[in-house]
Order: sequence, then structure tokens, then C-alpha cells
Amino acid sequence: MASISNEPEHEHRDEEESGANEDEDTGAQVAPIIKLEEVPVTTGEENEDTILDLKSKLYRFDKDGSQWKERGAGTVKFLKHKESGKSRLVMRQSKTLKICANHLVTSGMSVQEHAGNEKSCVWHARDFSDGELKDELFCIRFASVENCKAFMQKFKEVAESEEEKEESKEASDAAGLLEKLTVEEKNTEEKKEEKPVEKEASDKAVEENKTKESVPSA
Amino acid sequence: MALPNQQTVDYPSFKLVIVGDGGTGKTTFVKRHLTGEFEKKYEPTIGVEVHPLDFFTNCGKIRFYCWDTAGQEKFGGLRDGYYIHGQCAVIMFDVTARLTYKNVPTWHRDLCRVCENIPIVLCGNKVDVKNRQVKAKQVTFHRKKNLQYYEISAKSNYNFEKPFLYLARKLAGDPNLHFVESPALAPPEVQIDMAAQQQHEAELAAAASQPLPDDDDDTFE
Repeated sequence: MASISNEPEHEHRDEEESGANEDEDTGAQVAPIIKLEEVPVTTGEENEDTILDLKSKLYRFDKDGSQWKERGAGTVKFLKHKESGKSRLVMRQSKTLKICANHLVTSGMSVQEHAGNEKSCVWHARDFSDGELKDELFCIRFASVENCKAFMQKFKEVAESEEEKEESKEASDAAGLLEKLTVEEKNTEEKKEEKPVEKEASDKAVEENKTKESVPSA
Repeated sequence: MALPNQQTVDYPSFKLVIVGDGGTGKTTFVKRHLTGEFEKKYEPTIGVEVHPLDFFTNCGKIRFYCWDTAGQEKFGGLRDGYYIHGQCAVIMFDVTARLTYKNVPTWHRDLCRVCENIPIVLCGNKVDVKNRQVKAKQVTFHRKKNLQYYEISAKSNYNFEKPFLYLARKLAGDPNLHFVESPALAPPEVQIDMAAQQQHEAELAAAASQPLPDDDDDTFE
């Protein structure tokens, strides 16, 4: 396996033996046709923390040809935004540093093993690589089974934490609503006291909510 | 230079002409940069195909309009017409087919008749193949004609960025120009459609059993 990828390196050595320098500029002196000024680099990742970073090869599924096609080889990363807490997957092609994948990791997303290759796994995403959202089926292949497992585990962790965030948001929204309800009912209670059953029920609901999510509601 | 029906851009763009014998890998090389895929199937290019290729550098975004020309004589078409206003060029040969290297001087002569004093890169493609017919030390044409030479493999991506990097440096007269990260824009939030989600999952299950192309290498450079 290793010998295949080493082949160009072997030729490279050959070249060195013959005294040729790979980066030697043997080109003619040509006049530049444009003047370019240095500009600051914007990666778009400035406000994010890298939570995983692995070498890999990415494929996308070509539905027309019903086959996997290579998208790029380079570094795949999970990034977590420092303020919003949102997580996304970004992969760049090595050397050219172009983007091969860029999508949010959200609750309900799932990753599964590739049936024929234990170093790879597959998932669906709404990809934003080209600056427009596209449905893509992705497959990623790693150098080792361990790396693949680490990737899948991180993917699941991120998706689950998004799910928990959503649930706790829903719960706190619900708790807020209940609180409002209780206050309103208390107000009506002061006026007329003939509906004790309903009040008890809503108090109980608030209690349950407190214990389940430990969201202070009163 | 863009074709009349092609969008022009507000950043620097250059016309890059790619020539060389049929089957040396010109189209595969361009496609590799365009989509990441490696096309094994050989379908000769007819006439010319123009593809815009963007790169991000420390001096901003630049674009090469790649004029991917037919290598086969019978599909040649306009020839000289394709070279007009070419600002840089790649001459490709196949290190596993000696004749394709022997024809390099002809491609070079034709190119230079139309395009004078443009930066040119000579590329020896398919260096991943074990049985080379043209060894690195046998490649000498670039020294005689002052071209830059790179051994490349569109299959393994070996040196695949070098021709563009070299040409960009020459066109800008900046030997320190280099590629930088393109900005990864924040993907917008999307509403999950349950019906669509189920369909994606079904498609994914089917795709997961399709084999991967060339999954025998374990280094991803």
C-alpha cells in the first residue's frame, strides 16, 4: 500500500541524484503583466475554535452516475463558534487551501460507517462550499480505523450537543410560558377562587419542569 | 480572458492555454482542480473547453481561464485561434509515453508563434505510474527553451498546484506569492424538512454500500 504513494517520491529522489533541483527556476525572464498588493488573509474561521483536525480524503456521491467521486484530500476540521456556540465541519484541499466542504452540524444529523471500508464513513449535509446550499452525500476516508472512529465520535457528540441545546431552549421557553400562565392565573385567583383544580395542575407542571431541566422558573 | 458569454470578474484574471498530445491528461488535470474528481475514462476533448479556475493568494483572489485544448489532431479545430491573447501556458506530456515528450517541441513552436514571451510550464504527468518511459533526467527541453518543468501526477495530486503557483508568481512578478485559505463563509441555518430528511437517509444507506474509487492509498497529500 505504502509503496504506491511513495512512487512519486522515488522519482523525486531520482531527480535529486541527477542533480536537478525541483524548485529551480529554469523559466525565461518575462515581464510581469500585473502588479498585485499584499492583502490580509481572511480564513472565515477567526471566531472559532478547532475541536478536531484530521488528514483525510473526501468524496461526494454522484447520483447520476451512482458512484462516489473524489472531492479533495486535505484536512477536515470541526469548528465551534466562540460566541454562538454553533459547530460546523470545514474541509480544505491541501496545497491550494480551497474549501471542499463547509456545513453546519445540527441536531438530527447522523453519520454511519461505509459498508465496504472500515476507515470511512458517510453522512448527508446541506453543503455551503460554493456559497450556495446544496444537498450532498459525503464519504470521508482516513488513514486509520482509529481516526475514522474519532471523527465519527466527534460528529455524534456535536450533533447530540446541538440536540440538547435545542431541548433546553424548548424547555426554558416552555417554562417561561408556564410561569406567565401561573402569574396570570394567580391574578385571576385573587378575584375569584372557584378554580383550584386547574391551578394545582399548572403548579405541578412547573414543579416537574424544575426537576427535569433544573431551570429556575419562579 | 473570458469568452464573450462568460462572466467577467472584478479581480485579476488570465488566459491560460493548455496544450500537449491527446491522452496526456490535460482535461483530467483541469477537472481535478475544478471539482476534485479524478476522471479515469478517456474522452478526447473536441476543439477547446474553457474553465475558470480561482485561487486565493496572499495578494488576493485571481482567476485562470483555462483553455483546455484538443490534443488529438483530428479534433484540433481552430488551433492558432485558441492561442491568441494567451497570457501563460502549460505544455503537458505523459512520462509513460515517449512520443508525447518527442512532440513537445512542436507544441512549443506552435504556441510561441502566437504567444511571444509568456511564462510557460512544461508538465510531465502520470509520474505515479511505475513503468516510466521518460525519466526525470531525460527531460531536457525546458533547459534549452527556458521553460519551467514540473513532474506531476493528476492521480496522486503530486505537485498539482505547482504549475498554477509558478505562473501566478511570474504574471505578478512576485516570487513570494503563495496560496492562502479561501474564506469559509458561515453556512446559513436551514429548516429541516422531515420528508426530505427521510429521502436523504434512504439515499445515504444505498450510497454507503457503493465502493470508493482508489481507496488503496493512505497518504493524503
